[in-house]
Amino acid sequence: MRQGTEWEPKLVGFLCKWCSYAGADLAGTSRKKYPANIRIIKVPCSGRVDPLFILKALRLGFDGVLVSGCHPGECHYQTGNYRARRRVAITKKFLEYVGIEPQRVQASWVSASEGGKFTEVVAEVTKGLKEIGPNQLFSQERQGDGTKAT
Amino acid sequence: MEQRLRNEAKALLEQGKVDWIIGFESGSLKFATTPLITKDKNDADRLVINPFMVNNLANFLTEVKGRVGIVAKGCDSRSIVSLMQDNKVAREDVVILGVPCRGIIDLSKVERLVGKERDELDDITREGDKVAIKVDGEKKEFLATEALFDNCLACEFPTPQEYDILLGEPSTSVVNKPAAQEKIEKLKEMTPEQRWEFWKNEFSRCIRCYACRNVCPACFCQRCFVEETEPQWVLPVPRWQDNLIFQIVRNIHVAGRCTDCGECERVCPVNIPLRSLTKEMYDLVDELFHYKAGMDKEAAPLLIAYEYAEAEDLFR
Ligand code: SF4
Ligand code: SF4
Ligand code: FES
Repeated sequence: MRQGTEWEPKLVGFLCKWCSYAGADLAGTSRKKYPANIRIIKVPCSGRVDPLFILKALRLGFDGVLVSGCHPGECHYQTGNYRARRRVAITKKFLEYVGIEPQRVQASWVSASEGGKFTEVVAEVTKGLKEIGPNQLFSQERQGDGTKAT
Repeated sequence: MEQRLRNEAKALLEQGKVDWIIGFESGSLKFATTPLITKDKNDADRLVINPFMVNNLANFLTEVKGRVGIVAKGCDSRSIVSLMQDNKVAREDVVILGVPCRGIIDLSKVERLVGKERDELDDITREGDKVAIKVDGEKKEFLATEALFDNCLACEFPTPQEYDILLGEPSTSVVNKPAAQEKIEKLKEMTPEQRWEFWKNEFSRCIRCYACRNVCPACFCQRCFVEETEPQWVLPVPRWQDNLIFQIVRNIHVAGRCTDCGECERVCPVNIPLRSLTKEMYDLVDELFHYKAGMDKEAAPLLIAYEYAEAEDLFR
């Protein structure tokens, strides 16, 4: 963090290309402003997201992760989002138990026509992350193990 | 029960109904058992059934070729069913020799109870809801709930639900839920920061031997994510950060397959309380999706199955 600049959370978004990614695009083309805190990664379906991606992002120092796919019943591959839902649900709950703030793992359903909703989701998630502060989960030094902050 | 098992196993091999028998025999250390995996009918006489058979033998099912007769306690039989749900083994290739289980004795607990090493004990027997220990010619009795493994104290299905031959009358478990949940409840009382600190400390001891993964019947990937190099998900060196990520993701990957058999915690050479993670996941999947691992061989696995509306409160 540079002195004088306010800390801004970094958020990684895994967006399904059929819906949420297109929703983000629509937000852009309709000149809606969403926080620049999100770094978007396009995935073929929310069902592509292995919880490992979420852990890896947190390990790399991202402050939060958003997984976003098509609404229930609207997945291009029929069931990808249902599978994503179960995985994200257990991940979120389990991480909370281990001690990771639940705000850091977020999920939403955003269709290709919901540019407005996308803007809102990113704004809300960013706000939540600002409240809990930077992710220092993995960066804390342990004495003697020579681990550098990421 | 033991003699019946030996006869059944011998007959299965003789009649060519199975190629392999997987069971337990006496180990070299006192009281301990060790897995017996054999094709030889004469070995059947070495099979034992006793309250020290800790291993979840389901882990060996995928390692032998052909038809297998396998000894299974309640939790093991669920692990076998779970493998069937994942199409890892076919029902017709397995003959389940079900053992109605009354709980497995935790020798470390026994040592603590009597204040002696296991080698100094003459005998340990299960008598009703008691465990009797003979030491220096004296007989001491303890409640079974004090001497069994934590996971056995939480056991819901001690008698195999899926079997071909049941080697005895169905058993009831001596549950003591509070005792089985004690460590987990303590963790839940902590703040998230304290919990994170707790696990961070625990996993700074992990040497990444992968014993927990290798012993687990639910961990059956040909190539584990920890060994992938492009991308490299976690560093191979044992740093607490990567150790913890390995274990968290392993828990997520075995969600809905883990039967709370307790094997991972038992094998950990540095005594990380792994069951405090696996059991919580076990309870979470039940709470969120009313799913219990290995109960129905026809059912879709947890992470494949779905309902139209569920866990929606977690989505925006
Ligand atoms: S995770 Fe541990 S308790 Fe669960 S099935 Fe695997 S070895 Fe058994
Ligand atoms: S058994 Fe224990 S030390 Fe070995 S990898 Fe698992 S947690 Fe780490
Ligand atoms: S295609 Fe969008 S979630 Fe499956």
